[in-house]
This record gives sequence, structure tokens and C-alpha cells, in this order.
Amino acid sequence: MPSTARLPLILLLLAGTLGVGASAPWWLGAYWLGIFTIAYYFGVFAMSWDLLFGYAGEVNFGPTFLIGVGAYSAGLLDNAGVPMAACIVLGGIAAIVGGLILAIPALRLRGPYFGLVTLVAVLLLLDFIVIFAAQTGGEIGMMVPDVLSISTSVNYWYAFCFLVVSAAILFGLSRSALGLILQATGQDRIEAQALGFNVTKHKLAAFAISALFSGLAGAMLTFYEGTASVDQMVDLSIAVQIIIAVVFGGRRTILGGALGAMFLVLFNELLRPLGQLNTFVVSAIALVVILFLPDGVLGWLLRPRTGV
Amino acid sequence: MLSNAPRLEVEGLTKRFGGLVAVRDVEFSIRGGEILGLIGPNGSGKSTVMKLIMGIEAPNAGAVRLDGVDVAGWPTHRIARMGVGIVFQHSRPLHRQTVVENIKLALLPDSLFRLIAEPQVEERAREIAERVGLGEVLDRRPPTLPFADLRRLEMAKALARDPKVVLVDEPFAGLTPGEVATFSELIDGFRRDGRAVLLVDHNVKSVARLVDRVLAMYLGERIAEGSAEEVMQDQTVRRVYIGGAIEGHAKPANAAASAAPLLEVCEVEVFYGKAQALQKVSLAVRPGEFVSVVGLNGAGKTTLFNAISGLVPYAGRIDWLGTPLAGRSPAAIARGGIVQCPETRELFGDMSVRENLDLGGQHLTAVARERQLAWLLDLFPILRERSGQRARTLSGGEQQMLAIARALMMQPKLLILDEPTLGLAPVILEQLSRALTQLRDTTDITVLLGEQNVTFALPHADRVYLLEHARIVWQGTPAAFADEMGAGYL
Amino acid sequence: MLALQILVDGFAISALYGLGAVGFTLIFGVSGVLNLAHGGIMVVAALVGWWVAAYHGFGPYGGAAAGVGAGIAAAFVTYFVVVRPIQRSRAIPKEEEEIFILTATLLWGIMLQVGLDYVFSDNPVTMQPLLPGVVQIAGVRTPTNEVLIAAVSWGIIGLLSLFVNRTRIGKQLLAASINPRALTLLGFELSQIYLVVWAIYGLLAGVAGVLLATFLGASADNSGALTASAFTIVILGGLGSVPGSLIAAYVVGYAETVTAYLIAPTLRPIPALVILIIVLYVRPQGILGRR
Repeated sequence: MPSTARLPLILLLLAGTLGVGASAPWWLGAYWLGIFTIAYYFGVFAMSWDLLFGYAGEVNFGPTFLIGVGAYSAGLLDNAGVPMAACIVLGGIAAIVGGLILAIPALRLRGPYFGLVTLVAVLLLLDFIVIFAAQTGGEIGMMVPDVLSISTSVNYWYAFCFLVVSAAILFGLSRSALGLILQATGQDRIEAQALGFNVTKHKLAAFAISALFSGLAGAMLTFYEGTASVDQMVDLSIAVQIIIAVVFGGRRTILGGALGAMFLVLFNELLRPLGQLNTFVVSAIALVVILFLPDGVLGWLLRPRTGV
Repeated sequence: MLSNAPRLEVEGLTKRFGGLVAVRDVEFSIRGGEILGLIGPNGSGKSTVMKLIMGIEAPNAGAVRLDGVDVAGWPTHRIARMGVGIVFQHSRPLHRQTVVENIKLALLPDSLFRLIAEPQVEERAREIAERVGLGEVLDRRPPTLPFADLRRLEMAKALARDPKVVLVDEPFAGLTPGEVATFSELIDGFRRDGRAVLLVDHNVKSVARLVDRVLAMYLGERIAEGSAEEVMQDQTVRRVYIGGAIEGHAKPANAAASAAPLLEVCEVEVFYGKAQALQKVSLAVRPGEFVSVVGLNGAGKTTLFNAISGLVPYAGRIDWLGTPLAGRSPAAIARGGIVQCPETRELFGDMSVRENLDLGGQHLTAVARERQLAWLLDLFPILRERSGQRARTLSGGEQQMLAIARALMMQPKLLILDEPTLGLAPVILEQLSRALTQLRDTTDITVLLGEQNVTFALPHADRVYLLEHARIVWQGTPAAFADEMGAGYL
Repeated sequence: MLALQILVDGFAISALYGLGAVGFTLIFGVSGVLNLAHGGIMVVAALVGWWVAAYHGFGPYGGAAAGVGAGIAAAFVTYFVVVRPIQRSRAIPKEEEEIFILTATLLWGIMLQVGLDYVFSDNPVTMQPLLPGVVQIAGVRTPTNEVLIAAVSWGIIGLLSLFVNRTRIGKQLLAASINPRALTLLGFELSQIYLVVWAIYGLLAGVAGVLLATFLGASADNSGALTASAFTIVILGGLGSVPGSLIAAYVVGYAETVTAYLIAPTLRPIPALVILIIVLYVRPQGILGRR
């Protein structure tokens, strides 16, 4: 925990940010509202990734597998006539199922194997979607009949509230007793077992939680955009951006992921004039951050002062 | 406070790793309020026994009974919940959590749904911290704590589990004498609590005062059991540790005694994190000499050799042929004439004997290499027989000979041998000893030997250093060693 | 006969897959690096080769040489700029090194892809075959180029095998993949060995890229798919095992070819994926891999 002297300052900062964020529809234009809406969903993607990585110690190179399963399940169900709210919930559940199915072989592997298997999962999903294009819309995407709202402001608030609630839950989890156990299982498997914790059970739980939030966010994004598409939800470039967001913002901070997601979206906007080179520049910056500031920006700012 | 029924009973415990039998038919029992010392050198199987009890490895045969329930083969976390606690040899805290949070973790139930710990958890954690002496550092994080406090934290975690059986692995390694006394008190506290304690160590002397009984192991088997004194006097134990009667061969005064030293180690200190592995160690090796550094496992021999070979950073100076070695890469130091044959041998397991030897001779011309190879195959005839075999399939003794031969292929000026007798049967030791004698008689090679087995280390040596707890505590001739240290070594 | 056609076509494409996969697994076995910029390096070689051949009048052979050279250069840049700084960094803990390298090479791969797209656009290009024309193999009309590809791929793999098992440096490479610490103790500078292995890797990836350009064509957009197929094969075969990669390459290559001919070309990637899923559940370390 940051020292008690800094706590009031942090709370003030937090309250200020929330206030600014909540009030945005009154002073921000529609274009930027839309940008931030997407950024908020992205923030949830990043935070759920950090729970799995920063806390359970598992590097998931294919977070978009979970997001995609959530998004496309919700989309398919909606097209089949299921009410939208149920679709979102079921999308989240589908992502949990998908996450657990992925976790079973993956958790039997160590290190690089595990990372590669998660990458393979994304490829499998991509191929699956393309092959069954008739049902899923393939590379073009799948339209859904329902949307969250037609109003930009309402959509913004849905995203904002979703982000804030997810952040509160995920951050709370990370600081809870469960979060402590997850950190132990991620950092030192044998020690965690020696202390009486079933490591497999806890890692599966971490997978499930990460999957739930990723899936819900994916489903909500689908109903915001009106389509489930590979470009926005499944593609490897999205996975990379999620990882960049967390590394940039700071691993193991949860909130750093949200921060990194904001930065990333803003960067992308700023660099839009560069055309396709903006991906190049963003990747280059992320590479530099990885090399020189491995704890990320937030991690560096919040590094524990020696002793206290 | 002894209760009658044993809390921990181990019967017929056996564990094989591939072709190697690490533990064979081990049997003992510990009652509540009793401390059993499990003693043995590296490779004796004592650490494996501990892992088998804790479930980190599953036994091939045998039973492990906790209060009558056989838990052999159970997953570790279930054995932990049955009431077994372990204090690992190397501290393993959560680095980003405070001391009190680390202890709280140990108090938490294995539940996914307990988000907030019960209020008494915090209080209990503080109590335990006070008991082990961490009361002042509750809110500090492990990277800022001194070595002894990290060890205390390990004790605290074990205590927090309120175990019926406590496994303690090499508790005193790296501690100062004052800290050893404090920790002995803490372990004694376990006994007073009525817990059954298994204390694993390689040194009977250091645990003699603490334990009620001792069980000595060698090469996976039980070789002696009884009180500490009985075990220390046992013939088999003495032969295994010291190698039997200590004989020194007085060597005629070496002409090289006045020559400038090849290798000079001056006031070298090495730290592994917080633990001090070498404390102001100085020694010298002169051309053509055979110097033995004698000491038990953990005394610091490997660290010393790694410092000389450039594999660990150190403070102080190490001079070779008059110039400091500092700043040279380990490979450059090896090419410069200092070749180490490490304790772990580091063979290329999947390559043949011949290929291993060829790699050793890569810096020589083809002609020189052939000549060297022929000479070495004469020195170690068994290697000629096994020339095409994969190194991994050789026996322990053959692997050791291959490792030494490979090092000799480099035509070293100084050959460093680290515990060559580790885990080898006595008859192999004879062969090795003969090979070393022949080496000394036919070449002017300089040798630095690190050994726990004194009978092996003394006969060839011109001079002996005794390394104990990171310091050189004695030096002199083998004859003087036999006279002065003989009885008290173990 | 259809079966013979499948046999011949499948052989060539598997050989090409094998070449790429062997490079990928080699760099992992010796250097410990999972290079997710692998496809990017191959496409660099392919596009440079095409460009030099088409625009500078050097013809296909000159282009091929330039392409391979570009591949080696790209491999070295990957090592010096991306991988080595992480391996030497004191800020990154040892346990996390692999993950950082994976992420960094992933980012670098994306940078390569976008860069190539910018310079060459993402239109697929095909390089002129090195040997034009058609030959008859057991009654099957096969482009000579395909035969060349299979021959070159296996030739290089054969040379690599000779190199590793017969030459001094080759044996050092093999030793480095078994026990790098022992090599240091024997007086070998590991840094030099790494240079050699990355050079060989660049050669393998470069040749594979150039051959691909003459066979199926290449574009910046392929980079991701090429990396994906390489590591799919390597996981199937067992990470770090060269024979495993070759076997897996043939399994995948033939599975794809059979599907394309007998079922439908669009379903080409499916069997490999199905096999992969089964392997992951049944034997996750791969056919010849060790845990």
C-alpha cells in the first residue's frame, strides 16, 4: 500500500478523475466521446489481463481468445433472438467456459510453452470464424440487431460505468485475501503448495475471472459497435495492444492497465496522421518502455520507497 | 513433552529417478515433542526424503503416516493441510508483500471465496511475528530485510500453519554463531509446543545439542541411528564422512616451496544476496603443488572456486601468475590455464564420451589433441571402453572420470576439483585416487582440491586448508592436520 | 494420378515449412529465444529478394542472394537491438526474461510487418522461379521450381546436420544447446556462439523466405501467418527438437495438401489445427519434445 501520507492525495486524484470522466458528455465532442468509449472497454481488457498475469503469474498471449468468445457468443445468441442483456451475461459465461477449456492443457505447461499455447488459441478462433463465415460473418464481421443505445452520451456512460465497476471489483480482488493467495501461486508454486494452497484451483479461478471480464467487455463492445468483428476483438494486433497497455501502465497494478489503455488510445489518435505507421511508432515506444522501464510508468511511479 | 503415539511414521520409503535410486527403504518415526536429526552429505538422499514427506515428490514405494493416516503420494497442499509444515533451506518470501502480509498468507484457508480475512488473522500474524523476533519489522518488505530476518520469516510461516510435524532444512546455513543460538531456541520452542520435528542437515556437530536422536544416511540408505554421540562414533559414519582412519603421507619438502605462487587469493568476500558465503578468505597455490581445501558441504568451497573461475562477483583480489583476474570473462580465465571440474560435473549428457573429450581439446592443434586424448585414455582406461557411449548413460564414477579427463584435455596449469568423490562408492574412490597419484607423478600439474572426504583429500596434498562457515580456520601440512584435527573434525 | 500429385506437392511444401520450423526451433534450443518476429524476417528476405530481382536487373539469382543477405541482416538486428539488451538487462528478473523476449519479439515483428507494408505495400508479389519450366515425376507434371525448393530445403538441412555433427563450431553449437555453462568452463565465449547461431538462423529464414517468394508469393501481411505456422509446427514437433520439427512439418504439410486436394482448398488449415488441439490435450510437450 502506498504510504498513508500519500493516501489523501491519491484519493483526491481518483475523485477528480472520476468526476472529469463522468461529466465528459457535457463538454466533450461526439468524436472524442466515441474514442473514450472504446478506450474504456479496452481498459477492462487490460485490467483482466493484468489479473491473470500480474497476480496469477500466467502470461496470456491470446487475451483476444477470451474476448472473441464472449463477443461472438453474445452476437450469435442475439441473432438467434435472445434478449440483449441475457446475451451479454451468456457471453461472459461462454468466455469462462472457453477460458477453462484453454487453461486445462495450458496449465500443464511451463513458461514459453504456455505463452505459445495461448497464442495458438487465438489463431484457432480466427480460423474457426473464417471457416464458418456463413454463420459468423467471417472477416467482414457479424452484425447484431440490438445495440446498447443510439445516443453517444448513453453509450459513453455505459462504458464508463462498466469500467469503474470492473476496476473496483478487479482492484478489490487484487487486494483481497484471494489476491494474496493468487500472488503466491503465481510467484512461487511450491511455496504456495507448502502453505496449503491448491495452486491449480486458484489458477483456474484466475483464468475464469479474467475470462469473465474479458468476455463481458467483448460482448458489450459488440453491442456498442453493432457488430462483432475480428479486427476489433480477436485479431492478434489487439492482443498485442492489450499487452502493451499493461506493460506501459505497469504490471501488477490493475489500474495501470486502464491507464495504459487510455494512453494507447490517445497515442493512436495523435499519430493518426501518420497513417499505418502509427502502429510502428506505438510498437517502437512500447519496445523502448519494455527495455528501459520494465515496471511500466505507473509501476515506476508507485515503486515502494525502501523500508516503508 | 512426549506423547506416546508417533506423529510421523515413515516406512520402506523408496524413490527412483530413472536408474538412480535416491532413497532406498528408509524408515523412522518421530513422536510429538521430539526432534530427529536426519544427517547426510550432499547426494545422501536426505533432501529427497524431506520432499517425499512433503509431497513435492511422490515415492515409488513405502508409506508416510501422519497420526496413522498414510499420505504418501498425496499432493503437497493436502499434506500441508493435514498438519505438516516445512522450513525450506532457501528463504522464499513474497517480495512485494510486507512481513505481516507474508505471515497472514500462511494463516489463510484454501478458499476461493474468502475475500476478507477474519479479523483475528491480523492479530495472530503479529503475535507470531513477535514470537520469532520480527516484531520491529512488521511493515517492511523482504528485499530490505537482513538474511537472518528472512530465515525468521520462514520459521514464522511454518509456525502459522500450527503444524503437528515440522520439517526443517539446514536451518543454520549462513547464520552467525549468535543467530544460531537464537534459532536453536526457536526450534526448541517447536519441541516444547509438542510438535514432531525432523531436522535435516549435513553436519552432526552443529545439531548435536538440539536433537534427541540422529539418523545418518549415505547414498540413499540408512547407515546409523541413535543418539548424537553414538552416531558420531559409529564406524560406518566416520568412514563415509572422513573416509576412515586419517593418514597423512609426509611429503619431502618441495623445491617449489619458495617459488612465487601461481594463484593468490587475498581477503576475498562473497555475498549471495544477504548471506555471506566467504569471509576474508586468503590462500595461495604454488607451482606443482597439490593443495586441498577441506570442509563440509556449505562451508564455502564451491563459492571459492566459482570466485576464482570468475563465475560469481567478489570483493578482494585474486591474482593469477602475478596479475589480477578481475574483469576477465569466465571463458577467458579457463583459457588462461585455470580449469575447474565442478561438483555438478556439467557434462554434455547427450553427447558421447569421445565428443565430450574432443570439446575439451578444441583449443589445441589436432596433433596435440590426439596425443592428449591418448594419454588420458591410458590414465582412465574405462573411458576408452565407453568412448562411443552417451555421457548420460555412464555410472557416477565414470562420469566423474570423464569430467576430470575433459578438464585435463585443456592442458590446464591449475586444475580445480570440486568434491569429486560426491556420491561415489568407496571402490570408485580408490580408482580416482590412483588416477590422481599417477597424474601427480607423471606431470607437473598444479591441483586445488575441495573435499569433504578427508581420507581422499589428505594423501595427495602438500598443504591443507580447513574452510568452515565461510572462513579459513586452519592451514598446514596433512600430517599436522591428522594430529590436530583428527578427532574433532566430525 | 491424384495420389502422386498430392505426394509431390505435399513434399515440396512440407520441405519449405520444415526449413522455417528448423530455424525457429534452432534459435530456441541454442539461444533460448522464441522469436515471434520469425515471419517478419522471412518476409524481409522475400520482399528484398523480389525487389532486387525485379527492379535491379540482377535476375532471380542475384535477387535470391540479396534476399538471403537481407534475412541474415534482419536476424542480426533482431538479436542486437531486441533480444540481447533484454538478456543483459539487470532491471528484468531472470524468471521473466522469456516473457519479455516473447513480448519484445512480438512487438518487433509487428514493427517489421508495418514497416514492410509501408515500403512495399501489402500487395502479394511473386519472385521469378529460379529454375523455370516443368518436369515429369512419375507421370506428374511438376514445376521445376518445386523440385528445386524441396532439394534446396533438404540440402540445407543436410548441410546443417553435417555442420553440427562434424565441424568444431557446429559441435560447440550443439553443446551450447545442451549445457551452456559447461561450455564457458571449457573456455568458449558464449557470446561468439550466439553470433554464429543467429547468423545460421538468418540464413535459414532468409532462404525459406526467398523460396517462398518464388513458390507461393509473399506480402507484408503474411508475416503473422508465417510465424504462426512455424510455431504451430514447432509445438507439434516438440520445442527444441529439430527432428521433431521436421516430422511435424511433414505432418502439417501433407495434412494441408490432402485437405486442399480431396476436400476443399478453403479448409486447408483445419487438419493441422485439429491435430494441434489433440496433441495439446494428449501430449502437450509435442511429439519429440521433453517437458
